[in-house]
Amino acid sequence: MDAHTIETIAGVIDKKMTRQLKQYLDVCARCAICKDACHQYVGTGDFKYLPARRAELIRHVYKKYFDSAGRFVPALYEARDPDDNLLDELYESCYACTGCRRCMYYCPFSIDTQWIVAVGKAILIAAGRGQEMLGQLADAAIFKGENVEMFRDVLVSGFKDIEAEVREITGDPEATIPVDKHGADILYVALAGAHSIRPAAVIFHEAKVDWTISLFEAANYGYFFGDAEKAKLIAKRFMEEAKRLGVKEVVVPECGHAYRVADIFYEAWTQEELPFKVSHILEVVDRFIKEGRITVEKGRIQGRVTYHDPCQIARNGGIFEQPRDVVKALTDDFVDLVPNRAEQWCCGGGGGIVAIEEMRDVRLKSGSKKVEQLRASGASVLACPCENCRLQIEDLNQLHGLGLQVRQVIDLVVEAMPLPGNTAPRA
Amino acid sequence: MPGAAREEGIAMSEEIKVDLELDLKGLLCPLPMVKVSQNIGNVPVGGVIRAVATDPGSMADIPAWAKSTGNEVLSAEKQGNEFVFLVKRVK
Repeated sequence: MDAHTIETIAGVIDKKMTRQLKQYLDVCARCAICKDACHQYVGTGDFKYLPARRAELIRHVYKKYFDSAGRFVPALYEARDPDDNLLDELYESCYACTGCRRCMYYCPFSIDTQWIVAVGKAILIAAGRGQEMLGQLADAAIFKGENVEMFRDVLVSGFKDIEAEVREITGDPEATIPVDKHGADILYVALAGAHSIRPAAVIFHEAKVDWTISLFEAANYGYFFGDAEKAKLIAKRFMEEAKRLGVKEVVVPECGHAYRVADIFYEAWTQEELPFKVSHILEVVDRFIKEGRITVEKGRIQGRVTYHDPCQIARNGGIFEQPRDVVKALTDDFVDLVPNRAEQWCCGGGGGIVAIEEMRDVRLKSGSKKVEQLRASGASVLACPCENCRLQIEDLNQLHGLGLQVRQVIDLVVEAMPLPGNTAPRA
Repeated sequence: MPGAAREEGIAMSEEIKVDLELDLKGLLCPLPMVKVSQNIGNVPVGGVIRAVATDPGSMADIPAWAKSTGNEVLSAEKQGNEFVFLVKRVK
Protein backbone atom coordinates (compact mmCIF):
# COMPACT_ATOMS: atom_id res chain seq x y z
CA MET A 1 0.00 0.00 0.00
CA ASP A 2 1.42 3.41 -0.97
CA ALA A 3 2.24 6.12 1.56
CA HIS A 4 -0.50 8.43 0.28
CA THR A 5 -3.24 5.84 0.88
CA ILE A 6 -1.92 5.08 4.36
CA GLU A 7 -1.88 8.78 5.12
CA THR A 8 -5.48 9.09 3.85
CA ILE A 9 -6.61 6.18 6.01
CA ALA A 10 -4.89 7.63 9.06
CA GLY A 11 -6.66 10.92 8.35
CA VAL A 12 -10.02 9.14 8.23
CA ILE A 13 -9.37 7.46 11.57
CA ASP A 14 -8.24 10.72 13.12
CA LYS A 15 -11.41 12.45 11.92
CA LYS A 16 -13.89 9.69 12.75
CA MET A 17 -12.49 8.49 16.06
CA THR A 18 -14.42 10.54 18.57
CA ARG A 19 -13.85 10.36 22.30
CA GLN A 20 -16.80 8.00 22.65
CA LEU A 21 -15.47 5.65 19.98
CA LYS A 22 -12.03 5.64 21.59
CA GLN A 23 -13.71 4.74 24.84
CA TYR A 24 -15.51 1.85 23.16
CA LEU A 25 -12.19 0.49 21.92
CA ASP A 26 -10.62 0.92 25.34
CA VAL A 27 -13.35 -0.57 27.51
CA CYS A 28 -14.09 -3.71 25.51
CA ALA A 29 -13.20 -6.49 27.98
CA ARG A 30 -13.36 -9.22 25.28
CA CYS A 31 -15.96 -10.90 27.47
CA ALA A 32 -17.55 -12.26 24.29
CA ILE A 33 -21.11 -11.81 25.52
CA CYS A 34 -21.64 -10.35 22.06
CA LYS A 35 -20.99 -13.73 20.47
CA ASP A 36 -24.30 -15.07 21.76
CA ALA A 37 -26.12 -11.89 20.74
CA CYS A 38 -24.92 -11.73 17.14
CA HIS A 39 -27.12 -13.66 14.66
CA GLN A 40 -24.20 -13.74 12.24
CA TYR A 41 -21.73 -15.31 14.65
CA VAL A 42 -24.38 -17.71 15.98
CA GLY A 43 -25.34 -18.71 12.44
CA THR A 44 -21.84 -19.15 11.05
CA GLY A 45 -19.57 -19.77 14.05
CA ASP A 46 -16.99 -17.77 12.13
CA PHE A 47 -14.64 -15.66 14.27
CA LYS A 48 -14.51 -12.84 11.73
CA TYR A 49 -18.18 -12.08 12.36
CA LEU A 50 -17.76 -11.77 16.12
CA PRO A 51 -18.72 -8.18 17.04
CA ALA A 52 -15.66 -7.76 19.29
CA ARG A 53 -13.49 -8.89 16.38
CA ARG A 54 -14.95 -6.20 14.13
CA ALA A 55 -13.83 -3.61 16.70
CA GLU A 56 -10.48 -5.34 17.10
CA LEU A 57 -9.55 -4.68 13.46
CA ILE A 58 -10.14 -0.96 13.88
CA ARG A 59 -8.24 -1.02 17.15
CA HIS A 60 -5.16 -2.51 15.42
CA VAL A 61 -4.97 0.37 12.95
CA TYR A 62 -5.84 3.02 15.50
CA LYS A 63 -3.03 1.86 17.77
CA LYS A 64 -0.51 1.94 14.95
CA TYR A 65 -1.05 5.65 14.28
CA PHE A 66 -2.58 7.24 17.35
CA ASP A 67 -1.36 5.31 20.36
CA SER A 68 2.20 5.97 21.50
CA ALA A 69 2.79 2.42 22.76
CA GLY A 70 1.41 0.92 19.56
CA ARG A 71 3.43 3.31 17.44
CA PHE A 72 6.77 2.43 19.02
CA VAL A 73 6.25 -1.24 19.90
CA PRO A 74 3.60 -2.35 17.44
CA ALA A 75 4.15 -6.09 17.86
CA LEU A 76 3.60 -5.91 21.61
CA TYR A 77 0.43 -3.86 21.35
CA GLU A 78 -1.08 -5.58 18.31
CA ALA A 79 -0.76 -2.46 16.21
CA ARG A 80 -1.03 -3.14 12.47
CA ASP A 81 -0.66 -1.24 9.24
CA PRO A 82 -3.81 -1.21 7.14
CA ASP A 83 -2.27 -3.59 4.60
CA ASP A 84 -4.25 -5.56 2.01
CA ASN A 85 -4.79 -8.46 4.41
CA LEU A 86 -6.27 -6.20 7.05
CA LEU A 87 -8.45 -4.45 4.47
CA ASP A 88 -9.69 -7.84 3.22
CA GLU A 89 -10.67 -8.77 6.78
CA LEU A 90 -12.22 -5.38 7.34
CA TYR A 91 -14.26 -5.65 4.14
CA GLU A 92 -15.79 -8.99 5.07
CA SER A 93 -16.33 -7.95 8.65
CA CYS A 94 -17.86 -4.52 8.01
CA TYR A 95 -20.00 -5.08 4.92
CA ALA A 96 -21.41 -8.34 6.34
CA CYS A 97 -22.52 -6.56 9.52
CA THR A 98 -26.24 -5.79 9.31
CA GLY A 99 -25.98 -2.96 11.83
CA CYS A 100 -28.70 -4.52 13.97
CA ARG A 101 -27.02 -3.45 17.25
CA ARG A 102 -28.22 -6.53 19.12
CA CYS A 103 -24.63 -6.88 20.36
CA MET A 104 -24.85 -3.37 21.80
CA TYR A 105 -28.09 -4.24 23.58
CA TYR A 106 -26.41 -7.14 25.40
CA CYS A 107 -22.92 -5.62 25.82
CA PRO A 108 -22.24 -4.70 29.49
CA PHE A 109 -20.64 -1.46 28.22
CA SER A 110 -23.17 -0.83 25.43
CA ILE A 111 -20.40 -0.75 22.85
CA ASP A 112 -21.93 0.40 19.58
CA THR A 113 -20.42 -1.98 17.04
CA GLN A 114 -22.38 -0.41 14.20
CA TRP A 115 -20.66 2.91 14.88
CA ILE A 116 -17.30 1.18 14.91
CA VAL A 117 -18.19 -0.59 11.66
CA ALA A 118 -18.98 2.83 10.17
CA VAL A 119 -15.33 3.79 10.78
CA GLY A 120 -14.28 0.54 9.09
CA LYS A 121 -16.39 1.36 6.03
CA ALA A 122 -14.92 4.88 5.92
CA ILE A 123 -11.41 3.35 5.96
CA LEU A 124 -12.36 0.98 3.13
CA ILE A 125 -13.85 3.80 1.04
CA ALA A 126 -10.71 5.91 1.59
CA ALA A 127 -8.63 2.95 0.39
CA GLY A 128 -10.82 2.53 -2.70
CA ARG A 129 -12.25 -0.70 -1.28
CA GLY A 130 -15.87 0.36 -0.65
CA GLN A 131 -18.49 -2.23 -1.61
CA GLU A 132 -19.03 -1.69 -5.33
CA MET A 133 -22.72 -2.56 -5.64
CA LEU A 134 -23.77 -0.40 -2.70
CA GLY A 135 -21.69 2.44 -4.14
CA GLN A 136 -23.41 2.06 -7.52
CA LEU A 137 -26.87 2.06 -5.95
CA ALA A 138 -25.99 5.19 -3.99
CA ASP A 139 -24.61 6.94 -7.08
CA ALA A 140 -27.69 6.04 -9.13
CA ALA A 141 -29.93 7.56 -6.43
CA ILE A 142 -27.81 10.73 -6.34
CA PHE A 143 -27.93 10.93 -10.15
CA LYS A 144 -31.72 10.68 -10.07
CA GLY A 145 -31.81 13.42 -7.43
CA GLU A 146 -29.62 15.75 -9.46
CA ASN A 147 -31.55 15.11 -12.68
CA VAL A 148 -35.12 14.81 -11.48
CA GLU A 149 -36.57 16.47 -14.58
CA MET A 150 -34.99 13.76 -16.72
CA PHE A 151 -37.04 11.15 -14.87
CA ARG A 152 -40.22 13.07 -14.10
CA ASP A 153 -42.23 11.73 -17.07
CA VAL A 154 -41.23 8.14 -16.34
CA LEU A 155 -42.13 8.49 -12.67
CA VAL A 156 -45.45 10.26 -13.24
CA SER A 157 -46.38 7.70 -15.89
CA GLY A 158 -45.68 4.94 -13.32
CA PHE A 159 -47.83 6.75 -10.73
CA LYS A 160 -50.71 6.94 -13.26
CA ASP A 161 -50.57 3.17 -13.79
CA ILE A 162 -50.74 2.61 -10.03
CA GLU A 163 -53.51 5.19 -9.74
CA ALA A 164 -55.65 3.08 -12.07
CA GLU A 165 -55.19 0.12 -9.71
CA VAL A 166 -56.05 2.29 -6.69
CA ARG A 167 -59.29 3.33 -8.43
CA GLU A 168 -60.10 -0.31 -9.05
CA ILE A 169 -59.42 -1.33 -5.44
CA THR A 170 -61.27 1.58 -3.84
CA GLY A 171 -64.07 1.64 -6.41
CA ASP A 172 -63.59 5.40 -6.65
CA PRO A 173 -62.93 6.62 -10.21
CA GLU A 174 -61.70 9.93 -8.75
CA ALA A 175 -58.97 8.41 -6.54
CA THR A 176 -55.62 10.00 -7.29
CA ILE A 177 -51.94 9.82 -6.53
CA PRO A 178 -51.16 13.53 -6.21
CA VAL A 179 -47.72 14.71 -7.37
CA ASP A 180 -46.09 18.02 -6.40
CA LYS A 181 -49.11 19.15 -4.39
CA HIS A 182 -48.17 22.30 -2.50
CA GLY A 183 -49.53 22.63 1.00
CA ALA A 184 -50.47 18.95 1.36
CA ASP A 185 -50.44 17.63 4.91
CA ILE A 186 -48.32 14.57 4.12
CA LEU A 187 -45.45 13.88 1.73
CA TYR A 188 -45.20 10.12 1.27
CA VAL A 189 -41.70 9.04 0.27
CA ALA A 190 -42.12 5.53 -1.09
CA LEU A 191 -39.66 2.93 -2.27
CA ALA A 192 -38.97 2.73 -6.00
CA GLY A 193 -41.41 -0.13 -6.54
CA ALA A 194 -45.19 0.02 -7.01
CA HIS A 195 -45.69 -2.33 -4.06
CA SER A 196 -44.92 0.40 -1.53
CA ILE A 197 -47.06 3.01 -3.30
CA ARG A 198 -50.31 1.16 -4.12
CA PRO A 199 -51.42 0.11 -0.62
CA ALA A 200 -50.34 3.41 0.92
CA ALA A 201 -52.33 5.29 -1.73
CA VAL A 202 -55.41 3.18 -0.94
CA ILE A 203 -55.04 3.88 2.79
CA PHE A 204 -54.48 7.62 2.30
CA HIS A 205 -57.49 7.76 -0.02
CA GLU A 206 -59.76 5.94 2.42
CA ALA A 207 -58.54 8.07 5.35
CA LYS A 208 -59.28 11.16 3.25
CA VAL A 209 -55.79 12.48 3.76
CA ASP A 210 -54.46 15.53 1.96
CA TRP A 211 -51.26 13.95 0.67
CA THR A 212 -48.77 14.01 -2.16
CA ILE A 213 -46.16 11.56 -3.33
CA SER A 214 -42.44 12.21 -3.52
CA LEU A 215 -40.53 11.97 -6.78
CA PHE A 216 -37.74 10.30 -4.81
CA GLU A 217 -37.41 6.99 -3.05
CA ALA A 218 -36.70 6.64 0.65
CA ALA A 219 -34.09 3.85 0.41
CA ASN A 220 -30.59 5.10 1.15
CA TYR A 221 -27.72 2.99 -0.15
CA GLY A 222 -25.28 5.77 0.68
CA TYR A 223 -25.93 4.87 4.32
CA PHE A 224 -25.28 1.17 3.69
CA PHE A 225 -22.20 2.00 1.60
CA GLY A 226 -20.81 3.92 4.56
CA ASP A 227 -20.45 7.36 3.01
CA ALA A 228 -22.22 9.92 5.18
CA GLU A 229 -21.99 12.61 2.50
CA LYS A 230 -23.71 10.42 -0.09
CA ALA A 231 -26.30 9.36 2.49
CA LYS A 232 -27.02 12.98 3.30
CA LEU A 233 -27.39 13.90 -0.39
CA ILE A 234 -29.84 11.03 -0.95
CA ALA A 235 -32.04 11.99 1.99
CA LYS A 236 -31.72 15.68 1.18
CA ARG A 237 -33.60 15.10 -2.10
CA PHE A 238 -36.92 14.51 -0.38
CA MET A 239 -36.27 16.72 2.65
CA GLU A 240 -35.84 19.70 0.30
CA GLU A 241 -38.92 18.59 -1.64
CA ALA A 242 -40.91 18.51 1.62
CA LYS A 243 -39.75 22.01 2.47
CA ARG A 244 -40.59 23.27 -1.02
CA LEU A 245 -44.10 21.80 -0.84
CA GLY A 246 -44.66 23.05 2.69
CA VAL A 247 -45.96 19.74 4.06
CA LYS A 248 -46.58 19.10 7.75
CA GLU A 249 -45.38 15.51 7.85
CA VAL A 250 -42.98 13.32 5.89
CA VAL A 251 -44.02 9.67 5.94
CA VAL A 252 -41.51 6.97 5.08
CA PRO A 253 -42.53 3.51 3.89
CA GLU A 254 -41.97 0.03 5.30
CA CYS A 255 -38.20 0.26 5.08
CA GLY A 256 -36.12 0.08 8.25
CA HIS A 257 -33.01 2.07 7.43
CA ALA A 258 -35.00 4.69 5.51
CA TYR A 259 -36.93 5.43 8.68
CA ARG A 260 -33.83 5.66 10.82
CA VAL A 261 -32.02 7.90 8.33
CA ALA A 262 -35.01 10.22 7.90
CA ASP A 263 -36.19 10.45 11.49
CA ILE A 264 -33.01 10.04 13.49
CA PHE A 265 -29.87 10.70 11.48
CA TYR A 266 -30.77 13.47 9.06
CA GLU A 267 -31.09 16.30 11.58
CA ALA A 268 -27.92 15.15 13.31
CA TRP A 269 -25.99 15.04 10.03
CA THR A 270 -27.20 18.43 8.81
CA GLN A 271 -27.52 20.20 12.19
CA GLU A 272 -30.78 21.50 10.81
CA GLU A 273 -34.14 21.45 12.56
CA LEU A 274 -36.73 20.22 10.08
CA PRO A 275 -39.99 22.23 9.87
CA PHE A 276 -42.10 19.04 9.72
CA LYS A 277 -42.34 15.77 11.57
CA VAL A 278 -41.08 12.48 10.16
CA SER A 279 -43.16 9.35 10.70
CA HIS A 280 -43.08 5.71 9.75
CA ILE A 281 -46.09 4.64 7.68
CA LEU A 282 -47.23 2.25 10.42
CA GLU A 283 -47.31 5.02 13.01
CA VAL A 284 -49.67 6.82 10.65
CA VAL A 285 -51.79 3.76 9.88
CA ASP A 286 -52.07 3.00 13.61
CA ARG A 287 -53.30 6.56 14.09
CA PHE A 288 -55.88 6.19 11.30
CA ILE A 289 -57.24 2.95 12.78
CA LYS A 290 -57.45 4.33 16.32
CA GLU A 291 -59.12 7.53 15.11
CA GLY A 292 -61.62 5.50 13.06
CA ARG A 293 -60.47 7.08 9.82
CA ILE A 294 -60.08 3.71 8.12
CA THR A 295 -62.07 0.54 8.67
CA VAL A 296 -60.42 -2.84 8.99
CA GLU A 297 -62.23 -6.10 9.63
CA LYS A 298 -60.93 -9.16 11.41
CA GLY A 299 -61.41 -12.48 9.68
CA ARG A 300 -60.19 -11.38 6.26
CA ILE A 301 -56.60 -12.46 6.99
CA GLN A 302 -56.51 -16.24 7.19
CA GLY A 303 -54.11 -18.14 9.45
CA ARG A 304 -52.00 -17.32 12.49
CA VAL A 305 -50.11 -14.05 12.09
CA THR A 306 -46.80 -13.10 13.65
CA TYR A 307 -44.70 -9.96 13.49
CA HIS A 308 -40.98 -9.39 12.94
CA ASP A 309 -39.43 -6.26 14.48
CA PRO A 310 -37.02 -4.84 11.89
CA CYS A 311 -33.91 -3.74 13.80
CA GLN A 312 -33.84 -0.19 12.42
CA ILE A 313 -37.48 0.44 13.26
CA ALA A 314 -37.64 -1.32 16.61
CA ARG A 315 -34.41 -1.74 18.59
CA ASN A 316 -32.79 1.25 16.84
CA GLY A 317 -35.89 3.29 16.10
CA GLY A 318 -38.03 2.78 19.19
CA ILE A 319 -41.19 1.73 17.33
CA PHE A 320 -42.47 -1.44 18.99
CA GLU A 321 -46.16 -1.16 19.75
CA GLN A 322 -47.81 0.72 16.88
CA PRO A 323 -47.10 -1.97 14.24
CA ARG A 324 -48.31 -4.66 16.69
CA ASP A 325 -51.47 -2.68 17.34
CA VAL A 326 -52.05 -2.46 13.58
CA VAL A 327 -51.58 -6.20 13.10
CA LYS A 328 -53.74 -7.04 16.13
CA ALA A 329 -56.51 -4.91 14.63
CA LEU A 330 -56.54 -7.26 11.64
CA THR A 331 -56.68 -10.63 13.38
CA ASP A 332 -57.55 -12.40 16.61
CA ASP A 333 -54.91 -15.03 15.89
CA PHE A 334 -51.71 -13.09 16.60
CA VAL A 335 -48.63 -14.58 18.19
CA ASP A 336 -45.39 -12.76 18.96
CA LEU A 337 -42.02 -14.20 18.07
CA VAL A 338 -39.83 -15.08 21.05
CA PRO A 339 -37.77 -13.08 21.88
CA ASN A 340 -39.29 -9.89 20.56
CA ARG A 341 -39.17 -6.09 20.59
CA ALA A 342 -35.69 -4.86 21.67
CA GLU A 343 -34.45 -8.44 22.00
CA GLN A 344 -35.73 -9.53 18.60
CA TRP A 345 -33.24 -11.50 16.50
CA CYS A 346 -32.01 -9.76 13.37
CA CYS A 347 -33.19 -11.67 10.27
CA GLY A 348 -29.72 -11.28 8.71
CA GLY A 349 -30.80 -9.18 5.73
CA GLY A 350 -30.00 -5.65 6.88
CA GLY A 351 -27.12 -3.28 6.18
CA GLY A 352 -27.39 -3.68 2.41
CA ILE A 353 -26.20 -7.30 2.50
CA VAL A 354 -29.18 -8.46 0.40
CA ALA A 355 -27.60 -6.56 -2.52
CA ILE A 356 -24.16 -8.15 -2.03
CA GLU A 357 -24.19 -11.39 -3.99
CA GLU A 358 -20.79 -12.56 -2.72
CA MET A 359 -22.19 -12.55 0.84
CA ARG A 360 -25.28 -14.61 0.05
CA ASP A 361 -23.96 -17.67 1.86
CA VAL A 362 -23.19 -15.90 5.14
CA ARG A 363 -26.48 -14.03 4.87
CA LEU A 364 -28.52 -17.20 4.63
CA LYS A 365 -26.58 -18.96 7.38
CA SER A 366 -27.02 -15.97 9.65
CA GLY A 367 -30.79 -16.35 9.43
CA SER A 368 -30.77 -19.54 11.50
CA LYS A 369 -32.18 -17.94 14.66
CA LYS A 370 -34.94 -16.27 12.69
CA VAL A 371 -35.88 -19.61 11.15
CA GLU A 372 -36.05 -21.15 14.66
CA GLN A 373 -38.26 -18.33 15.88
CA LEU A 374 -40.61 -18.52 12.91
CA ARG A 375 -40.98 -22.29 13.17
CA ALA A 376 -41.70 -22.07 16.92
CA SER A 377 -44.40 -19.45 16.37
CA GLY A 378 -46.61 -21.78 14.35
CA ALA A 379 -47.62 -18.79 12.23
CA SER A 380 -48.48 -19.04 8.56
CA VAL A 381 -48.37 -15.28 7.91
CA LEU A 382 -45.47 -12.99 8.77
CA ALA A 383 -46.16 -9.27 8.93
CA CYS A 384 -42.86 -7.53 8.26
CA PRO A 385 -42.48 -3.78 7.74
CA CYS A 386 -39.03 -3.69 6.12
CA GLU A 387 -38.06 -4.43 2.53
CA ASN A 388 -34.64 -5.88 3.29
CA CYS A 389 -36.07 -8.11 6.03
CA ARG A 390 -38.76 -9.37 3.67
CA LEU A 391 -36.23 -10.20 0.96
CA GLN A 392 -34.10 -12.12 3.46
CA ILE A 393 -36.99 -13.92 5.16
CA GLU A 394 -38.51 -14.87 1.80
CA ASP A 395 -35.16 -16.46 0.90
CA LEU A 396 -35.14 -18.29 4.26
CA ASN A 397 -38.76 -19.28 3.67
CA GLN A 398 -37.84 -20.91 0.36
CA LEU A 399 -34.60 -22.46 1.62
CA HIS A 400 -36.12 -24.01 4.75
CA GLY A 401 -39.61 -24.73 3.40
CA LEU A 402 -41.31 -22.67 6.11
CA GLY A 403 -44.52 -22.29 4.12
CA LEU A 404 -44.94 -18.70 5.28
CA GLN A 405 -46.65 -15.81 3.57
CA VAL A 406 -44.15 -12.96 4.06
CA ARG A 407 -46.24 -9.81 3.84
CA GLN A 408 -45.86 -6.06 3.94
CA VAL A 409 -48.06 -4.81 6.81
CA ILE A 410 -49.87 -2.20 4.70
CA ASP A 411 -50.80 -4.95 2.22
CA LEU A 412 -52.45 -6.84 5.07
CA VAL A 413 -54.21 -3.64 6.15
CA VAL A 414 -55.64 -3.08 2.68
CA GLU A 415 -56.65 -6.74 2.49
CA ALA A 416 -58.60 -6.29 5.74
CA MET A 417 -60.43 -3.22 4.48
CA PRO A 418 -63.96 -3.70 3.12
CA LEU A 419 -63.31 -2.28 -0.33
CA PRO A 420 -65.13 -2.99 -3.61
CA GLY A 421 -62.03 -4.11 -5.50
CA ASN A 422 -60.36 -6.01 -2.72
CA THR A 423 -59.21 -9.19 -4.32
CA ALA A 424 -56.15 -11.39 -4.10
CA PRO A 425 -52.78 -9.95 -3.02
CA ARG A 426 -50.93 -8.11 -5.77
CA ALA A 427 -47.24 -8.42 -6.56
CA MET B 1 -41.20 5.92 -23.95
CA PRO B 2 -40.91 9.03 -21.81
CA GLY B 3 -37.91 10.60 -20.11
CA ALA B 4 -34.21 10.15 -20.38
CA ALA B 5 -34.18 6.72 -21.93
CA ARG B 6 -36.42 7.87 -24.78
CA GLU B 7 -34.41 11.02 -25.45
CA GLU B 8 -31.05 9.37 -25.50
CA GLY B 9 -31.81 5.82 -26.47
CA ILE B 10 -32.57 4.42 -29.86
CA ALA B 11 -35.62 2.50 -30.93
CA MET B 12 -35.54 -1.15 -30.02
CA SER B 13 -34.51 -3.08 -33.08
CA GLU B 14 -34.46 -6.68 -34.13
CA GLU B 15 -30.96 -6.00 -35.51
CA ILE B 16 -29.34 -5.44 -32.11
CA LYS B 17 -27.51 -8.57 -31.07
CA VAL B 18 -28.36 -9.53 -27.52
CA ASP B 19 -25.56 -11.24 -25.58
CA LEU B 20 -27.49 -12.01 -22.41
CA GLU B 21 -31.17 -12.25 -21.54
CA LEU B 22 -32.23 -11.42 -17.97
CA ASP B 23 -35.66 -12.33 -16.66
CA LEU B 24 -36.27 -9.86 -13.83
CA LYS B 25 -40.01 -10.29 -13.69
CA GLY B 26 -41.42 -10.18 -10.17
CA LEU B 27 -38.31 -8.59 -8.67
CA LEU B 28 -38.94 -5.41 -6.72
CA CYS B 29 -36.75 -2.33 -7.05
CA PRO B 30 -33.86 -1.94 -6.69
CA LEU B 31 -33.26 -5.62 -7.46
CA PRO B 32 -33.73 -5.26 -11.26
CA MET B 33 -30.95 -2.63 -11.24
CA VAL B 34 -28.83 -4.84 -8.97
CA LYS B 35 -29.20 -7.83 -11.31
CA VAL B 36 -28.28 -5.77 -14.38
CA SER B 37 -25.23 -4.43 -12.57
CA GLN B 38 -24.19 -7.89 -11.39
CA ASN B 39 -24.46 -9.25 -14.92
CA ILE B 40 -22.95 -6.43 -16.95
CA GLY B 41 -19.52 -7.98 -16.45
CA ASN B 42 -20.81 -11.19 -18.04
CA VAL B 43 -21.04 -9.58 -21.47
CA PRO B 44 -18.05 -8.22 -23.41
CA VAL B 45 -17.45 -4.47 -23.79
CA GLY B 46 -19.91 -3.42 -26.49
CA GLY B 47 -22.17 -6.35 -25.59
CA VAL B 48 -25.86 -5.96 -24.85
CA ILE B 49 -28.12 -7.24 -22.07
CA ARG B 50 -31.85 -7.55 -22.72
CA ALA B 51 -33.63 -7.31 -19.38
CA VAL B 52 -37.36 -7.71 -18.76
CA ALA B 53 -38.73 -6.33 -15.47
CA THR B 54 -42.22 -5.80 -14.09
CA ASP B 55 -41.52 -3.18 -11.42
CA PRO B 56 -42.22 0.30 -12.88
CA GLY B 57 -39.48 1.75 -10.68
CA SER B 58 -36.97 0.06 -12.97
CA MET B 59 -37.82 2.62 -15.68
CA ALA B 60 -35.96 5.25 -13.67
CA ASP B 61 -33.57 2.99 -11.75
CA ILE B 62 -31.87 1.23 -14.66
CA PRO B 63 -31.26 4.37 -16.78
CA ALA B 64 -29.96 6.17 -13.65
CA TRP B 65 -27.62 3.26 -12.88
CA ALA B 66 -26.39 3.27 -16.50
CA LYS B 67 -25.75 7.01 -16.44
CA SER B 68 -23.88 6.91 -13.15
CA THR B 69 -21.72 3.91 -14.16
CA GLY B 70 -20.97 5.07 -17.71
CA ASN B 71 -22.96 2.35 -19.45
CA GLU B 72 -25.75 2.95 -21.97
CA VAL B 73 -29.43 2.15 -22.11
CA LEU B 74 -30.12 1.66 -25.82
CA SER B 75 -33.85 1.44 -25.23
CA ALA B 76 -36.35 1.19 -22.39
CA GLU B 77 -39.90 0.37 -23.39
CA LYS B 78 -43.12 -0.50 -21.65
CA GLN B 79 -44.69 -3.52 -23.31
CA GLY B 80 -47.99 -4.31 -21.65
CA ASN B 81 -47.17 -4.91 -18.00
CA GLU B 82 -43.48 -5.45 -18.68
CA PHE B 83 -40.55 -3.07 -18.97
CA VAL B 84 -37.97 -4.14 -21.53
CA PHE B 85 -34.43 -2.75 -21.52
CA LEU B 86 -31.50 -3.08 -23.87
CA VAL B 87 -28.38 -2.17 -21.91
CA LYS B 88 -24.98 -1.86 -23.59
CA ARG B 89 -21.76 -2.39 -21.70
CA VAL B 90 -19.59 0.59 -22.55
CA LYS B 91 -16.52 -0.06 -20.41
